[in-house]
Amino acid sequence: MFSLRFRIAKWVMNHRGLSGAVFALITLFFGIGLKDVRLDTIFSDLLPRDEPYVQVFKDHPNFGNPLTFTLMVQRKNGDIYNAETLGKVWNMTRDIDLAPGVDHDQILSISTEKARYAEATPFGIDMRPLMGDAVPKTPEEIADFKMRVEKSPNARTFLISVDQSATLINATFNESRLDYAEAFKYVQGLVLAARDENHNVYLAGQPALTGWVFTYKSEMFKIFAITLSALIISLALYMRNVVGVVTPIVTSTVAAIWGFGLTGWIKSPIEPLLMVVPLLLIARSFSHCVQFTERYYEIYAHLKDRKQAAEITMGVMMAPSILGIFTDIVGIFLIAIAPIPAMERFALFCGFWCVWLIPTGVVLISLLLSWLPPPKNVDELVGKGGTTLLQRMLRKIAGITYGRAAPWTAGIMIGIGVFAVQTALQIRVGNPVEGSNLLWDDSEFNEAVRQINRNFAGVNTLEIIFEAKDQKNPARLMQREDSIVTMQRLQHIIENAPDAPRATLSFGDYLQEANRLFAGGDPRWAPLDPTDFYVSAAAGAVMVGSSPKAFSHVIDFEQQNGTVSLWFKDNKQETVDAALREATKAVAEVGADHKEFTIRLGSGTIALQYAMNHVVERYHYLIIALLNLVILMGCSLAYRSFVAGIILLIPVNMANFSLNAAMHVIGIGLDINSLMVAAIGVGVGIDYGIYLLSRICEEYHAQDHDWGRAITVSLVTTGKAILFTASIMFVGILPWIFMSSLRFMADMGLLLTLTMLFNMVLALVLLPLLVWIFKPNFVKRKDLLVGEGVDLSAFTGAADEAAIPAAQGAH
Amino acid sequence: MRIKKYDFNYGRRMLMEKAAKGVGTAGVLAPMWPMVGDAGDTSKAYPDELLSISAYTKGKIKPGDVIDSNNVDAVKDLFDPITYIQLKKQGRKINVVESTKDATKLFPNQYLMATLKNQGTAKFDATGNIVAKDGGPWNGGNPFPEPKNGVEAISNLTLAWGRHSYSQYAIRDWDIAPDGSEAYKYDFVWCEMNCTARPDGTVYNGKKDLLRYQSVFFTSPTETAGSSFLNTWYYDQTKFPDLYGYLPAFRRVRQFPTNQRFEPLVPGITLFLSDAWAAGDPMLTWGNYKIVGRQPMMGCISGINFRGGYHPNYERTVHGGPKGQTFFDTWFELIPECIVLEAEPTGYPRSPVGKKRIWIDARNGMFVAYITYDRRGEIWKSFEPAFAQYSNDKMTIKDAQGHPDWSWVYVHSHDLQANRMSRFSQVREVTGGYKSKFSEQGEDVYSKYLTTQAIARLGTG
Repeated sequence: MFSLRFRIAKWVMNHRGLSGAVFALITLFFGIGLKDVRLDTIFSDLLPRDEPYVQVFKDHPNFGNPLTFTLMVQRKNGDIYNAETLGKVWNMTRDIDLAPGVDHDQILSISTEKARYAEATPFGIDMRPLMGDAVPKTPEEIADFKMRVEKSPNARTFLISVDQSATLINATFNESRLDYAEAFKYVQGLVLAARDENHNVYLAGQPALTGWVFTYKSEMFKIFAITLSALIISLALYMRNVVGVVTPIVTSTVAAIWGFGLTGWIKSPIEPLLMVVPLLLIARSFSHCVQFTERYYEIYAHLKDRKQAAEITMGVMMAPSILGIFTDIVGIFLIAIAPIPAMERFALFCGFWCVWLIPTGVVLISLLLSWLPPPKNVDELVGKGGTTLLQRMLRKIAGITYGRAAPWTAGIMIGIGVFAVQTALQIRVGNPVEGSNLLWDDSEFNEAVRQINRNFAGVNTLEIIFEAKDQKNPARLMQREDSIVTMQRLQHIIENAPDAPRATLSFGDYLQEANRLFAGGDPRWAPLDPTDFYVSAAAGAVMVGSSPKAFSHVIDFEQQNGTVSLWFKDNKQETVDAALREATKAVAEVGADHKEFTIRLGSGTIALQYAMNHVVERYHYLIIALLNLVILMGCSLAYRSFVAGIILLIPVNMANFSLNAAMHVIGIGLDINSLMVAAIGVGVGIDYGIYLLSRICEEYHAQDHDWGRAITVSLVTTGKAILFTASIMFVGILPWIFMSSLRFMADMGLLLTLTMLFNMVLALVLLPLLVWIFKPNFVKRKDLLVGEGVDLSAFTGAADEAAIPAAQGAH
Repeated sequence: MRIKKYDFNYGRRMLMEKAAKGVGTAGVLAPMWPMVGDAGDTSKAYPDELLSISAYTKGKIKPGDVIDSNNVDAVKDLFDPITYIQLKKQGRKINVVESTKDATKLFPNQYLMATLKNQGTAKFDATGNIVAKDGGPWNGGNPFPEPKNGVEAISNLTLAWGRHSYSQYAIRDWDIAPDGSEAYKYDFVWCEMNCTARPDGTVYNGKKDLLRYQSVFFTSPTETAGSSFLNTWYYDQTKFPDLYGYLPAFRRVRQFPTNQRFEPLVPGITLFLSDAWAAGDPMLTWGNYKIVGRQPMMGCISGINFRGGYHPNYERTVHGGPKGQTFFDTWFELIPECIVLEAEPTGYPRSPVGKKRIWIDARNGMFVAYITYDRRGEIWKSFEPAFAQYSNDKMTIKDAQGHPDWSWVYVHSHDLQANRMSRFSQVREVTGGYKSKFSEQGEDVYSKYLTTQAIARLGTG
């Protein structure tokens, strides 16, 4: 009777002051860490670090314009060649130069000096800005401006749309001075002010995406607050007494302080995009506390002694609590196997938070219950009232899991299982959207991306990087014949291959243009002489009178690395696959390894999307398999039966397959979201099974070895707890689905809801069915680690027939 | 009770009063220029606390000390904001020397003589340009040795950048990346020849309508060697200079947009044409000139900064920054009186610069610090020059009359927003054998360096 867990419980209760002080000190320690807690989205941390494409991206982060805001000004009727539109572009270009953190050297539009045209004059080649020192206003000035644009192929291709209705303004920011929220607020302000009845104005670019996500931060806090309030209200409605509400809140708050405080101490920023999961943990902590408190009330109702009741509750609940939380911890920590820094930080944060649920949810709660006055409605709470509707429903559910109905139910379950597995296996990897899948498809940002893709080369790029072997070689790679000629060959091969991109660009293109202009403007002079001397001269011609920053989209500042950019029409999986296949073939054809440089495939949205999907392919089933293995070992040990482990794992895996099947049916593919949800789903979902199976073990003895009655009583009692646990988790998750402007969070909410729902239903139906079918021997044992029963007579000194049913297990 | 005639803050208070009243006379205790004309010693023009860093800081910093992050706060108000950041946060160190009291060491002799000779004769004509007593172009020296307003102050800088009729600077440049590594390195030669406003009092070849010819050509590294530019400045300061460029491989002269003054000439360098001598643009293409204050300032003007004799090529040792090579070693001194001048690029509707602030030594009219601000009003770039009489304990470079010559020795051009530093130094000689010199020395420099044909020839050389 007085096993280790009861001895621990006794010691804690005999040293309540000391135990309380220890908790206070630890809380103070982690509380100090709170001041260093940082909520921060580090976008590059969402990328898997060991994927080769991601490594290329990290080695060359400047390619692909990560710091550039792109604005598109579009005339609704007609073209841009009118004083009003040109004036708008001039003003916006000047105004964006006032943006906080902007790099004044990297603003490009048709109104900046950087957009130039060339003219041969008696004195040589005259390079002039497309627009003079003022906006063209008269028809003659506008016609002259249009003629200049005709003489500037780069402006025609990259700054003005083919139908001439739209033009781009690009502004790049200094990374060290860029405050995303501040810059976005300013630039978005310009966009809103510039829209009118004649003009659409769109804003895209990575900093704009970051800005949008940061804008929703306050919304995120609002939903967090609403959800938290809803959880507390649900708790109050369910418990209807102060102690029952205060205890979970205090316990969960302490665990949260420990969880957040640790991240502060170790200076690990928390990813706000994943804040749904901490809420799930709070819900998890609440439901656990409720069950613990209810068990305490049951025991208190019998013993009428707070301290003794708390001690017994702690002893009784310790093992099942730890086992339940253990599976959550395993699920969350295993997410860290996927080599994605944001996931690793998240797993560390939430995993340890889960660990803290053990001391707080077992020891601290017992201390609190022993100190706080007992509620007046104990009798009502321990279920001495009449049979409820819920109990009748649960009794009906129990009815289909044993006896004559069981074979039918089994047949249906097998049918559903086969369908779920078959459908789930068809699920595709990845959720390509035009723009960002962090935001909704109809969001302003994604609409801007679509419009820019429609009018210009767009944003779906694949970057093939040329990297100097000696980064300090005085003969800079981007001025060498081999590198530039190889770039041009690569472009030629790819442009003539099947599934060719809609546009390609490299530094070589600028060199040809410079060659043409300096040689007098005739297109026949564009081709480069394939010698280091002439390539270097062309590079000098491009650079003279400008900063390398003006070409940061194709070369780095020191001209040692460059990229061949390929633009594709969309980022659908088939486009991505074809793009990478053709690029790989082309790189093989020109050779990846040259004397002075290496060609690396690749960066850009196409390559990074592939990398994100690939990591999901690599780790989705691995994480699930490992989770199964660890949980199998843990549960087999706890129930001292391998069969128990199997019986518990079947419903959660079927729930997981059902989730994937549902995703496939509603058109969602596997991604990082689903990877996390699957791990959490199995870890948290299996708790239901553990609650129920433990209860069945108890009831088997209480109900005189009658399997049917054992199942029925278990479902009516613990099933209710499961329903409550699931409901409180839905309260914690559901608001995100309907309220979040961030699709990423809403999707995560939806997937978590589905997985919790499937796990709940399958725990209530499939688990008892399996027990009925297999009638496993471990149920018949009385010495299970996870048994929740206790003979209260050992504490009161007299047997008591009125002992609550739940406490009768261990006769 | 004894009343002290000059309390400790007297000097600074007087400078503030002068600025407020628009008084142009240099000197606090007495007018400085008569002293310059007399014996050159200006020590009686200023109280001790403006000529002694020890007195100014009440002993916290004295000549021989090194200013760094530990003690810079004692003299924070004597530095421009970017130099302060360099000292406080970027590991810069500055040696401190005694203040120069002999004003003749702050000019080339010929220029000082021209200034004294012509003082009081400069006027503005109806177009805003400066004319001499005869109504013709200015005839040498500072037109306004005691400027009473901003336009007069900028005139002293714009009309005679290098204070010589002809200067040829052999320059070695290092461009330091934010991580402290060397991103680019160039050798180039800068030639500037005044056609008018020459300290020798002549007009070059009758070209009264031109202020100067100025060329720059690169000699290293190989891929940039031969790239050259020619600026032709009109005397009329409302007109933009003509700018031509030449690249040897193309054998063609290219004309650049005349109003494109805010771009670097070659990749990696932070210097814009507009930044040259803190007066890189014709003075009437800027506007809203105003003197916003007068103050003492730390500046690099001592002869010890000339490194002839210490290095065969006059090169400098370096320190600081992430890799210990961002800043030149240097010696600063307390300058008793600086005019603080501000101006805005009113003639450049697309200028990314909002305004510039220049600290000008009131004694020689030359700038000692220069900062540009972006249009938001945030600090953008600094341009810190160092000047020296070319005479130290090991070597003296003399002019044709045997006087020690005077010129600039180095520049720190720091783009603080991008945190890129271009530091360049005037050396004895650069790749290609081009040497620094401060007069024609019998050479036909115009034909050799200052025509479009010349820059094309330099390219093929």
